[in-house]
Formats: sequence, structure tokens, C-alpha cells
Amino acid sequence: MAIEIQGLVRRYGPVEALRGINLSIPSGGIVGLLGPNGAGKTTLVEILEGLREPTAGSVTVLGIDPTRQSRALRQRIGVQLQSTALPLDLTAGEVVRLYASFYERPLAAGQVLDRVDLAAQARTLTRNLSGGQRQRLALAIALVHDPELLILDEPTTGLDPQARRALHELVRRFRAEGKSVILTTHYIEEAEQICDRVVMIRSGTVVADGTPFDLMGRAGGTSTLWIACEGAFDPALLARDGVTYNGPEGVHHRYATRDPAAAIVVLGDLLREHRVTLTDLRLRRPTLEDVYLELVGEPADAGVAT
Amino acid sequence: MSVLRAATALFIGHLKTFLRSRTALYWSLAFPLFFLFIFGFVFGHSSPEGIGFLLPGLLTITVISGSFYGVAMRVVSEREAGILRRHRVTPVSPVAVVLAYAAMGLVTLVLSLLLQIVVARLVFHAHIAAAPGSLAVVLVSGALALIPLGLIVGSVARDMRTAPAISNLVFFPLMFLSGAAIPFMMLPEWMQSAARFVPTTWLVESLQGLLVRGEGLASLAGPVTVLLLTSVAGIALNSLLFRWEGTEPVRPRRLLAAFAVLGALYLGVHLLAPALEMATYQP
Repeated sequence: MAIEIQGLVRRYGPVEALRGINLSIPSGGIVGLLGPNGAGKTTLVEILEGLREPTAGSVTVLGIDPTRQSRALRQRIGVQLQSTALPLDLTAGEVVRLYASFYERPLAAGQVLDRVDLAAQARTLTRNLSGGQRQRLALAIALVHDPELLILDEPTTGLDPQARRALHELVRRFRAEGKSVILTTHYIEEAEQICDRVVMIRSGTVVADGTPFDLMGRAGGTSTLWIACEGAFDPALLARDGVTYNGPEGVHHRYATRDPAAAIVVLGDLLREHRVTLTDLRLRRPTLEDVYLELVGEPADAGVAT
Repeated sequence: MSVLRAATALFIGHLKTFLRSRTALYWSLAFPLFFLFIFGFVFGHSSPEGIGFLLPGLLTITVISGSFYGVAMRVVSEREAGILRRHRVTPVSPVAVVLAYAAMGLVTLVLSLLLQIVVARLVFHAHIAAAPGSLAVVLVSGALALIPLGLIVGSVARDMRTAPAISNLVFFPLMFLSGAAIPFMMLPEWMQSAARFVPTTWLVESLQGLLVRGEGLASLAGPVTVLLLTSVAGIALNSLLFRWEGTEPVRPRRLLAAFAVLGALYLGVHLLAPALEMATYQP
């Protein structure tokens, strides 16, 4: 197990930021903690990093208690904080060498920069790097000791889509080496694209946990079906057994259903019966975002205070 | 040793950052010279001895400002920027981090003191009779005493707004009570006795012994010992007060313990240390 969390509670005065989290994360793969600002994601990862102590409950990371043996743990985990401050007057190479000196068995600076595609910037001062490059340098110093587990707190917040994709690629490369990644995000697409497992958090509790594919199927979300036909067809005919007709949309007719497979079977029968040709069919399944909105109950980017 | 390796790397990082920053160079090297020129032109140009009388005070002020503005501000600004927080999620020892700040403080102080002495000699023709070795011992002891105190201010100050306020609060008593700014003989008697509670007094005393009274290191063993004891106490207290993040509370008990230790040390000094010769010395 990479991470074992049982009954984790964290209070800040009267505020309960984490209200009893249970989570087992096996080694290997990318796990995303998804939730709005203030849901407790950062508190959770900071407890895993040994930066905060739990109020109650037990936590082990790589079999180590992060509060009591933080030094031993930090030899084996790589951390990227939510807003990493880098020494601005040092070059990328110097920054990597500085952090390498903190570990027992660091990798060579050149190798690390190469891994995050910053080899060409080795002699560039950090202050002259772009936002995406700085974020990759922050990842480089998290990788400098070849850790078993990477903990990334909102690694792509504020990056443009291209820089975000580049960072995703680096995280995937790390996973391909058989290592574990846990990252927080409030971008649903990000969770959908790179996470093998998504844990949704709302107000300090886990509200959903599974693969993105799994979660999309599990939710009682409604699919939308559009059809366009040639020939005389009464669109109301399909509106039965859990299928609702929502009227025309251009040449299409739009339906809502919780069971699109059954609706399509019925549609096939109707088409044959009325000798109508189907010219177009579109289906929109519930996305991770729909599941998120259903379970977390608010748009991902809206902040709530906890 | 992993602590030394990390401390060396951190120190080299500080040094490179320092050399690449014009403001840092200005405040730590040019600013002390500015003082030398002002005092030199106002009081010192009458005779080479004149600047000799001023040097103990000027060098002491440089040590105070290097410790409380240079070192303390470096700690606070790096903590405020979140660099210390980033260090914290690595296995680096806080001892290495503090050592690197101290070493950097010492190097900048040595550089600015050296520059001041050289300029005093070349521009104002100050004649410095003291043996260079003895002068180095006294100045380094003074820096070693004051830098840990600067580090403590760096740990206690919450951010870059409170840090200068706390530094000023410490700076002025250290400067005025010690006789670094105003000749000691001109201070009222109660201030002269309060001066024995202030580390910089012993630095001014040692420097006056060397530069004004022409004594050797042997006769200054008392004041130099006080400086070194202050250094040891200051280093020990640092490990009690060091903070990685501004959000970590300053533990009031530890702060109280720090004040108590320094207070006890100086009470002992007050009772045991030799009389201050600068109180009686008439040039």
C-alpha cells in the first residue's frame, strides 16, 4: 500500500476541515483528489507530507507515520507544493543541485532536468523561466531523489492548456516507471484525462471514489439522445418507458433518458415498423463533470469556505 | 556528513543570490562605507587618530546592521516567499538551514568590515596599530555573537513588515548603549551600567582596546569571552525558536526561555566581567 488512511479528522479550531476520511491507495498509478477549493484537499496532502498533524485517525505513507518519522518519509516521497517558491536568482541547474544536496542518493542534475524537458534551460535564471517551465522545475526538485511516491498539490493551476498537457505527459512518464502519484486538482478534465482513480472530496468527506469510467457509469445521470430521420416519423412515439421527448433541435429530435441502451433498441424497432431512415444519431453520456455536479453539488471552480 | 553537505550547498546558493543582487550588494557593502565617509568627513579628517577613535563604533554598527538587517531579513524574506516551506518537505535538517544563514552572514560581514578598514586606511589614512590577527579575532567574535541574535529576530518576526520594526527595536539600544554611536564617556551613569547588559558594549570595548588603547588580545580576554558566550547561547536558542513557516506559532514559553537564558547570561556578565575600561579611559 502506498497510502493508508483511517478515520482521519483534522480540525482548525471549531472548523472541521477533514471529517473522517478512509482511503487505501495501492502502489502504482495516478490518484486524483478532486474537489472545490476549501474541500480539504490541501489539508489532506499536507498531512500525508507530514506538514500537519491529524487531529484524530491514523495515516501511513509507504508504511511510515508521516508525523513521527517525517525525515525518513521525505527521503522517499517527492512533493510539489501548491505554490512552490523557487530561489529566483539561481539557475535551473543550480536549483536542482541545491535540492539534490538534501538527499542521500540523488540523481544527477542533468538527468533530472532532462526528465522534465528543461535541459536547455539549465543555465537560465529561475526568474526568467515561463510559468510552465517553473512548474516543471518544481516537479524536477520533487523528482531529484527518484522517489517512490509523488504528491502534487494542484500542479497545473494557472497553466495554459499546452503547459498543462506537457505536465500531464511528465506525470504519465513517472507512472510508467511503476511509481505512484497522488495529485489534487479542481479541473475535472484533468482528473478524467490522467487519473487512474478519482477521489471526490466535499467538505472534508469522500463522496465518490473509483476510476473515471466507473464513476461516470455509477451515477444516476441522464443521457441525452438526438436523432434525425428521413420520412414521416412522430417523434412522440419514442417517448415512453423512461424516455422523455424534449422537442426538436434543428433537424434533430432530442430525448432524455437514464437508459440509452434500451431507448436505442426501441428506436430500432420503431424505425423498422414505420420504414423510416435514420440519418443521424448522437448520444451524450453523463460526463465526470455531471457526476461531480451531482455529488459535489457545485461547479468545480466555485470556492466554498470550510 | 549530510548536514554539512546541505549547509554548504545552501550557503553557495545564498552567496550566488547575493552576488547577483545589486540591492544586497549595496546594503551590505556600500552602505557601511557611506557611514564611514559621513563620520570621516565630519569628525575624522583633522588627524589620522581621529578616524581611529571612530573606527570601533563604525565597525560595531556594521556588525549590528549586518546581523539585524542582513541576516534577519534574509531569513524572513525566504520564509515569507515560501522557500523554507519547500525545504521543509525535503529531509534537510533545520541545523543545516540555520548554519548556511549564519555562514552567509559571517562572510558578508567579513567582506564589509574588511572594505571599511581598507577604505579608512587608504582614504582617511587611519593608522591601525593593532595586529591584523588580533583585530580579526575580535571582529569575528563580535560577528559570531550578533549573527545568532539576528537569526533569532529572523525566526520571531512574522513577515517583512514586522521584521524591520523588531530589528529597529534591537538596533538602537545596541548602538547607543554600547557607545558605538555616542562616546561612552558622554553617556549618563545609569546608561553606562545598563551597557554591561548589551553584547555590543563588549565588542566596542574590545575594539577600543585594540585600536585606541593599543592593547593586545591577552588583556581583552574578558570581553572576547563574553562575546563568545553570547554566540554559544544565541546558537542554542536558535534551535528553540527556528520556524519553517510564518504560520507556525512562536511558542511563548520558548521565547520566554530565550529571554531568560540571555538575561541570566548578562546578569552573570554584569556581576563577573571586568570593569569597562572605556568608561574610565580618557584619550
